[in-house]
Amino acid sequence: MKRILYNLLFFSIVALVTSCQDVIDLKVNSSDSQIVIEGNITDQPGTQTIKISKSVSYTSSNTYPAVTGAKVVVTDSKGNTLSFVESVPGTYTFGPFKGEPGNTYTLNVNINGNTYTAVSTMPQPVKIDSLGLKEINFGGKGNFYPEVHYQDPANIANYYRYVMYINGVLTKRIYSESDRLTNGKAVTETLFYDTDEDNKKLEKGDKVDVEMQCIDQSVYTYWHTLDAQNQNGPGGGTAPGNPPSNISNKALGYFSAHAVSKASLSVK
Amino acid sequence: MPETNTLQKLLLFFTVCFAFLNTAYAQSRFTVSGVVRNAATGETLIGATVKIQSADKRSATTTNAYGFYSLTNTAGTYDMTVSYIGYKTVVQKVNLTSSIKLDINLTEGTELQEVVVRGNQRKDENVRSPQMGLDKIDMKVLNNVPVLLGEKDVLKTIQLLPGVKSGGEGNTGFFVRGGAADQNLILLDEATVYNSAHLLGFFSTFNADAIKDVSLYKGGMPAQYGGRLSSVLDVKMQDGNNKNFGVEGGIGLIASRVKVEGPLVKDRASFMFSFRRTYIDYLLKLSKDSTINSNTLNFYDLNAKVNYKLDDKNTIYLSGYFGKDNIGIKDLFANNWGNTTTTLRLNHIFNNRLFSNTSFIFNKYNYTIELLDEKNNAKVQSYIRDFNLKEDLQYFGDNHTLRFGVQATHHRIAPSDISSTAESSFNSQTIPNRYGLEAAAYISDDWKLTDQLNLLYGLRVSGFSLLGPGTINTYDDNGNKTSSKTYGSGDFVKSYFYPEPRLSLSYTLNPENSIKASYNRNTQNIHILTNANTSSPTDQYVLSSNNIKPEIADQVALGYFKNLSDNKYEFSGEVYYKRLQNQIDYKDGAELIANADVESQLKYGGLGRAYGLELYAKKVRGKLTGWISYTLSKTERKFNGINNGNYYPARQDRTHDLAIVGIYELSKRWTVSGNYIFSTGNAVTYPAGKYNVGGLTTYYYNSRNANRMPYTSRLDLSATLKPKENKRFGSSWTFGVYNALNRHNPYAITFRDKKDDPTQTEAVKVALFGIIPSVTWNFNF
Repeated sequence: MKRILYNLLFFSIVALVTSCQDVIDLKVNSSDSQIVIEGNITDQPGTQTIKISKSVSYTSSNTYPAVTGAKVVVTDSKGNTLSFVESVPGTYTFGPFKGEPGNTYTLNVNINGNTYTAVSTMPQPVKIDSLGLKEINFGGKGNFYPEVHYQDPANIANYYRYVMYINGVLTKRIYSESDRLTNGKAVTETLFYDTDEDNKKLEKGDKVDVEMQCIDQSVYTYWHTLDAQNQNGPGGGTAPGNPPSNISNKALGYFSAHAVSKASLSVK
Repeated sequence: MPETNTLQKLLLFFTVCFAFLNTAYAQSRFTVSGVVRNAATGETLIGATVKIQSADKRSATTTNAYGFYSLTNTAGTYDMTVSYIGYKTVVQKVNLTSSIKLDINLTEGTELQEVVVRGNQRKDENVRSPQMGLDKIDMKVLNNVPVLLGEKDVLKTIQLLPGVKSGGEGNTGFFVRGGAADQNLILLDEATVYNSAHLLGFFSTFNADAIKDVSLYKGGMPAQYGGRLSSVLDVKMQDGNNKNFGVEGGIGLIASRVKVEGPLVKDRASFMFSFRRTYIDYLLKLSKDSTINSNTLNFYDLNAKVNYKLDDKNTIYLSGYFGKDNIGIKDLFANNWGNTTTTLRLNHIFNNRLFSNTSFIFNKYNYTIELLDEKNNAKVQSYIRDFNLKEDLQYFGDNHTLRFGVQATHHRIAPSDISSTAESSFNSQTIPNRYGLEAAAYISDDWKLTDQLNLLYGLRVSGFSLLGPGTINTYDDNGNKTSSKTYGSGDFVKSYFYPEPRLSLSYTLNPENSIKASYNRNTQNIHILTNANTSSPTDQYVLSSNNIKPEIADQVALGYFKNLSDNKYEFSGEVYYKRLQNQIDYKDGAELIANADVESQLKYGGLGRAYGLELYAKKVRGKLTGWISYTLSKTERKFNGINNGNYYPARQDRTHDLAIVGIYELSKRWTVSGNYIFSTGNAVTYPAGKYNVGGLTTYYYNSRNANRMPYTSRLDLSATLKPKENKRFGSSWTFGVYNALNRHNPYAITFRDKKDDPTQTEAVKVALFGIIPSVTWNFNF
């Protein structure tokens, strides 16, 4: 609901004022390189991937050094041990393997004697019932936005994250939602994005792929915090900070065991 | 009136108690008292200086909020001088052989006292009074200060004063001496205005037409005010002309205004009615495009007041404000919000030394958001409503002016009520109301200790109770519920009591120079949870509770005040240090909207400190008037878990703030004015590094608010033309240029991948306004 509200307020503000944007040079702090772990265990059969890299300073180019030679092990609550192998520098894989909803997965990463651990429990899957398009008309401009329909299970807390591609290009936006206000309902989630910044405007012939992830609470908090910082509502939004990671030892990133449901459509 | 008799007995007791203050003098003493008014309109004048003086004796005072004064001295013949800025000074002989009642009428115009009273020891109020940290806005100045789109605005004008920082460009939100936006008490005829913003903050709820007096207390808070940490903005509405009917108004680019006032019973009763409305949406309606012409975007304000002078001792006032904003996009959403206030007051003059005001006040702020999409429909409603009863008394002794009183406020907060259809994604739910009772008693004494030393000291005792009914949870530091208890209606859940000492003193070195010092403690029991920099229509209010402790502020200030050239120039310098306790912030990813457990989403026990130097030079008379204000300051906060537990700059921490305001009367017909502001950028957090998660460039931060936005520099100009005077009909044109240098002042800084080279990151400065011209036509008849 907050997202809807912010988006709508944003539309109003843009309409209201003649805002102007200038690219500027800024003096920023420098920082030491930090360990970044991005680990996913899904209920999809195939290869499970844990990526380890390092952060770079703000002024560097967006290429992130791989962390090689790490020891990556995931254990689950059933007693299985998954020893990941470095297939590409910095990318550690295991599989074919399929995670199981209800299982708790523990990540253990050792990099040069430093240990990083994280725990994530895979929630029960929720399926996308259908994917549609929502037309928003404002100021003579009609835009279509993908709309996810699903049935939220009652009696349990559910947390979702969406990943959206248009013609195979990732939309640069974080979508996170909890069922705090929608528990047990048939839910329609509109995936708003900025057609200038985040991805292209939808046109006839475009293909939209949406992945809905059922994530656990700590992973939700991670994405939701990032999401809130990006929602620059009127007055500047939340003071930015590093989102609370479920990984120990001050590593950046997250470890998420999640169930996945996918849907796609072609714009006609 | 039997009630009055009981009250009178009680007050007789007080009078006897205070009588000792005067018994030191054996000679018979008499009192001259009365009300000072504008001769043409009958409006009472607030803060007019009244003096009586003979060869060897003198007494001086200023009129109170209702224009009342009282002076006592030994028998004799005195020269009485009554002066008020922008009015001709009245000088008359007063023969004090018995206590007399003397109402004074002042005529608007150039002051004559330069001729009449030159050579008198004129010690002006701002030098002599122990009150410090007080700024008054002259409504005539306000009319001439250039503003965005020509909408003259009280809240934007106070941002040009030292120690007051703007909440953002073109925004009415403000910060005083390092306080947060919700730590300002904003009063309209004594009623709290919770959200003083229209149109997301670009305009304020105060329609300047209806306003008589604006006082901003930044420090040295008098004991009659309480409940907020950092400032009191006391706005008083006009009473209405009780001699003649009048209509005035204006047509501007975005809004039009009209005010009607006049006598109901000549010299005894009058009314004032003022209305303002924007018409952007009427312009939208001209569009042929249905996606534009069916959108809503407007606000309006309605101020109304009536007063009736029952007899020489009793006057009754009823005033109200009603304002509303509407923003909506067809088939998508509708949002409205607004304040309602009603104030009923009875002034009673018990005797020539004891003045009483009894107020009953109602105020409410509410908002509604409707999501209109079939699948995502919801109507969210929220409000905060207060009932407030106050009794304030003022006793004018010989060398003491005592103020004492009691007040009680009942709060009801309805955090959110969501209603939706069965097809909607959202559940209908209501977050239970919260109730609170604030009570306070105060006494203060303005004591002329010697000719040089004035002391204003007092004590306010504030109590707050969270009341039932309701289920009240207690949370640990991690936000987990540790206990829960259900209370019945009227049960006291949690109570807090705080004595709040207030002390100010002035030492007059000579008639033109003084030194002042003050200390005050303030507490606050109603808090806004917001993630925006300034007020937003959907601000969440919470009361102090078992989890939320009252916020506390202690402030010390020291100042030097100087007037030059027979008070043509006023200069002041103040330094202050403020310490804040029990500050609140919210946790990462906090869910504040429609959350019954909102108190589990907060961080408690924050500390704050703010200190600074404020310089203010003002020219109050002549063809050129205006001021220069400069503030050098630092504002910091400290929370466990933020910035490694170290102090960090608050967002509104801006090292330098400079404002220059000049108004020049070119001729009888033309007045030109300009203001220039310069301020250091807000403290913000820029990324120190970056990494990739989820396929997105994500930023790494290593310290909170350690960076600065670029500075702000803006020049605004305006010119007012008065066509040839016509006896019955007056009009004027105001032409304005906002941001005349067309500088893109920073509103926000965002970071993104470069479009043409996604391997690089760039910083983007967002500016709201370039150069904006405006024109307004004003009329009166």
